[in-house]
Amino acid sequence: MTASRQSKPVRILAIVLRLALGGIFVYAAWIKLRDPWQLFAMAIDSYGILPLKYVELTAKVLPWIELALGLWLIAGKWMRIPSLGISLLLTLFFTLIVRAYIRGEEINCGCFGPGEAISWKTMLRDGSMLAGSYILTWLSFRRARPQPAALEPTPEFQYEQPRP
Amino acid sequence: MKLFALVLLALMPLLAVAFDVDAAKTVGNAGAPVTIELYSDFQCPNCKMLHDQIIPQLLQEYVGTGKVYLVAHEFPLSMHAHSREAANYATAAAQVGKYQAVADALFRDQAAWSVTGKVWDTVATALTPAEQKKVQTLVKDPAVLAEVQKDVDMANANRIMQTPTMIVKAGNKSYPIGGTVAYSILKSFLDDRLKAK
Repeated sequence: MTASRQSKPVRILAIVLRLALGGIFVYAAWIKLRDPWQLFAMAIDSYGILPLKYVELTAKVLPWIELALGLWLIAGKWMRIPSLGISLLLTLFFTLIVRAYIRGEEINCGCFGPGEAISWKTMLRDGSMLAGSYILTWLSFRRARPQPAALEPTPEFQYEQPRP
Repeated sequence: MKLFALVLLALMPLLAVAFDVDAAKTVGNAGAPVTIELYSDFQCPNCKMLHDQIIPQLLQEYVGTGKVYLVAHEFPLSMHAHSREAANYATAAAQVGKYQAVADALFRDQAAWSVTGKVWDTVATALTPAEQKKVQTLVKDPAVLAEVQKDVDMANANRIMQTPTMIVKAGNKSYPIGGTVAYSILKSFLDDRLKAK
């Protein structure tokens, strides 16, 4: 089944998810790029997963990746790449947030700029985004998958039209 | 005139947040280009870490050199059973010029009084017998209790969600920094703010 043959609700769902996730990623990137990079670096460092020398690099590069993926998603071209990229990033973020929450670490999420401590609300929000990104990725790959040839009507199996 | 009065009335809480500082809880030059307002809870482990590992370096390198003005605020979290009492004692001790000494003692013995609840035993170690008497009286003073509550209200007004939180003010910009931080990143951040001045 091609993109044009997807049902209308599915197409609307894909558009909503694409614009919502793309918008959220652009907003998250803008918040980080607007502030000094050290604020995001402090948030990354508080998770305790990267050596300091990589924290700085990540703090400077990651917001640009978020911006690119967000804009790409909004543009809606070659959807497999940005939807998969966002799914992978959200899987990483969500895993780190849940890990910090379970360990009782009182740290800053770093999701949308400084000053947001990790809570169940953070997990609910990021979990919803993650679910949305998985659905979008699945739809993107499903849309691009070619229909098996056996299901397409071929000339040999077409019924002959009755002659008037 | 009526409009001016209304605007002034609306801005009153903001003015209070901006200028209401207990001088006994400050360190450094009030005219420094950068101000750090530190909201902490004496029973919070991350606050202890910040107090023990980061603040001494900050005091030596930035506060002592007149680059940063440090202001301490109390933000006892309700999840910590004895932190409000500790904050009250520390604020009372500030009235006799012993805020820093009492804060040091409270963080030093945090593991003990957090469990036993014997906050005063720790506070007393930082005071002379005469000061102990004064602090015991001051801790019941409604003005002292109100000062702690004012700090809590300011934290809530600033939408602070965790301890420790530093609010770094440079020029007309304000940056909240929650949790513990690596000193090298904080240093880089402060140097950039000072360069920008």
